[in-house]
Amino acid sequence: MTATVEADQRRRALPGWVRSPILVAAVLSVALIVVGELVSPGFGSYGQVVAMLRVAAFLGLIAVGQTIVILSGGAGIDLSVGKVATLAAIIASRVMQGDDAQTASGILLALAVCALIGLANGLGVVYLRITPFVMTLGMMGVVHGLILAYTGGVADGRAAPALVSLVNGRVFANIPGVVLIWVVVTVLVTLLLRRTKPGWDLYAVGANRVSAELSGVRVNRTVVGAYVASACFAGLGGIFMVGYTQTVFLNLADDLTLPSIAAVIIGGTLLSGGVGGYVGSAIGAVVLTVLTNLLTTLRMGEASRTVVNGLVLIILLAFYGRGRRLRS
Amino acid sequence: MIEVRDVGKRYGGVVALAGARFAAEAGEVHGLLGPNGSGKSTINKILAGSVRPDTGSLWVDGRQVQPGSPTESARLGIGAVYQQLTVIPTLDVEQNLLLGTEPGRWGLLDRRAGRERASAMLERLRPALGEHVGPGSLVGDLSPGQQQLIEIGKVLLRRPRILILDEATASLHRPQVDLLFDIVRELREDGVCVLFVSHRLDEILRICDRATILRAGRHVATVDLADTRPDELVRLMVGEKLAETTKVPSARRDEVVLQVDDLHAPGVAGVSLRAHAGEIIGLGGLQGQGQSDLLMTIFGALPRTGGTVTFRGRRLGHYRAARAARMGFALVPGNRGTQGMFSLRSIQENLSIVSLWRRTMAGFGISMRRERSAAREAVERLAIRLGSLDDPVSSLSGGNAQKVIVAKWLLSDPVVILLDDPTKGVDVGAKAEIYQIIRTLAAEGCTIVINSSDDRELAVLSDRVLVLFEGAVVAELEGEEIDEERLVSSALLVSARADREVSG
Repeated sequence: MTATVEADQRRRALPGWVRSPILVAAVLSVALIVVGELVSPGFGSYGQVVAMLRVAAFLGLIAVGQTIVILSGGAGIDLSVGKVATLAAIIASRVMQGDDAQTASGILLALAVCALIGLANGLGVVYLRITPFVMTLGMMGVVHGLILAYTGGVADGRAAPALVSLVNGRVFANIPGVVLIWVVVTVLVTLLLRRTKPGWDLYAVGANRVSAELSGVRVNRTVVGAYVASACFAGLGGIFMVGYTQTVFLNLADDLTLPSIAAVIIGGTLLSGGVGGYVGSAIGAVVLTVLTNLLTTLRMGEASRTVVNGLVLIILLAFYGRGRRLRS
Repeated sequence: MIEVRDVGKRYGGVVALAGARFAAEAGEVHGLLGPNGSGKSTINKILAGSVRPDTGSLWVDGRQVQPGSPTESARLGIGAVYQQLTVIPTLDVEQNLLLGTEPGRWGLLDRRAGRERASAMLERLRPALGEHVGPGSLVGDLSPGQQQLIEIGKVLLRRPRILILDEATASLHRPQVDLLFDIVRELREDGVCVLFVSHRLDEILRICDRATILRAGRHVATVDLADTRPDELVRLMVGEKLAETTKVPSARRDEVVLQVDDLHAPGVAGVSLRAHAGEIIGLGGLQGQGQSDLLMTIFGALPRTGGTVTFRGRRLGHYRAARAARMGFALVPGNRGTQGMFSLRSIQENLSIVSLWRRTMAGFGISMRRERSAAREAVERLAIRLGSLDDPVSSLSGGNAQKVIVAKWLLSDPVVILLDDPTKGVDVGAKAEIYQIIRTLAAEGCTIVINSSDDRELAVLSDRVLVLFEGAVVAELEGEEIDEERLVSSALLVSARADREVSG
């Protein structure tokens, strides 16, 4: 009896919101901003927050696809997103060469190439039965080779002014275009996941592939679609990034792969698939960005920054695991 | 020796236990009986330390205990065998038997002592396990029944003082059950307390001294089985509603809906059948003789390697499950948890998934209003007991979860319904309800093919029974010919004949 009562008390001692990873992450990002403001006044100013959101938007867009792939289950993960985003940026800027007339064709060509890469990932995972981790790791290498072959080791090309103003232009409340686009994407992706057949199929496939197949869901098509979507959203993120930097580098978005996975996990999506959503990943992207900014403000070196980033991820995961245990 | 007092447990909105109690003595085999959702499994999970009760208490040897984990429960001398296997398929028999109790010193395994213990247990189980299973056999290669025996051996090696057998006989054949009962009787002599949970009434009557009957999480009665009649037990279990076991007239019509000719697939060796509208065809024989494979192949979930399938007069080329589902086929698979449910998702989504496409806007957008009303209609039609449609489907009891799986197919207005052992592990009351659903569907003109491990079920439901052996139809019974005796004898005679051929 006593043990039961203790368990009940422990359960009650935790307020309700800690059971939702999304809320935990949201509270954490606000807390980080408050701490930043205390340590270094100005950190939490409107302009600073908007600037951080702009940086988070690129990571957030890449994390859309990562979320979809992880939701699809079967140890789904896409390690090629960083390289794919870089390739998309390179293709788009080379086609554009700073010319507005080429904006649409640059974006479309880049996205088409990304879709093909995603298709290759998906087909490899579904039909050749290659583990997603290995398949997309291999694809990361292939894309890197493609980048070198395509550029000859020297990235040239410039983003079209139209793209630059789309990304940086401040239409409303001094918020850059890319952040607004990100908000729209968040709403659309959430609707896609929660209120369309492909979305429900994705959750079903992620939760139990055998049951999904035996319920008439086209499992293979859904999984391939997830990888195509992942590459396309990565490409979109890369294209917007070059709109921000204007000139392209050979490693523009390479470092965003692991943060994109971290954002998904912080957002509460189960790594085993079938449970989660994009809003959490978007907030996860904000958490990671704010944290990095805070650590930089504190003049922490790269090495210790990486350590703290990793620790925060581990602590959050331990926290979520605890919440789940208590609920079950 | 062990006592459970007024235990209560809720899962979300569903009450699993509401003041259940019973007590069992050392040297007693105590049966736990009750319809699905009566709380038997929950009690066992509480005893095994994997679930904490909300209220009430647990007493072992007159002391109050609260096992917080399976390890603590094992320390109290409680060992449990479940229907769901926990053996590790990638380890061999010896490793599985010794799992968690490997003898050793200073962190090193004592291989010899371990081997002796494992082979002693293996010899004990030998008569039911077969000659070919050795300590080095990979457990994943064994049949479900053999795996279940290894699981039982593993728990016995821990020398429990209180042994829980929770539907442990579900996948065992007759001789295997006999051996298990011999072991249980020996344990009783040694003063072990055995809690025995089974849906098979005859097994309870054979082995148990006393039994406690639960209904809706409450204690109904504890009876001495020596002076209790079977029908009395059934009445206690289901309350006033008696299980229907009478035959009703066939609803068979003339139209041939499904015709299968010389079908070949993994596990299926040349099956032909003609199924009419409104007809219920049973698949009988010993379990694992290709019945499930046949259903899976007709549904397009297993690759057909030969033969033809004709549906409503049209010969079908190669098709997969997704197309079959849209053409009007439905499959209720044999394993609820791994093949039928999406445990992590809501009841709503589990109900919607099959027929979603029929209600979407432009084949894409989902109207929650429409999904809700479709789900509510299905829940009402099958009388599914649930808290909220948004609860995870795993919060439901076995019988209600099975009804959800049937319900999701009903929303797609199926023409041919393939049922793979739909009442396995379902209590008498829910069974009767499922029979009623099947009959109603047949009366509405659906063609039904049903595999069952329960011969009485086949006898009660089927217009015709095909008896399968090694993937082929070896006997066909029709109408009045179908009774339990003939079903059992045709299944056993065939296998006896085959055994002779092999040995001769």
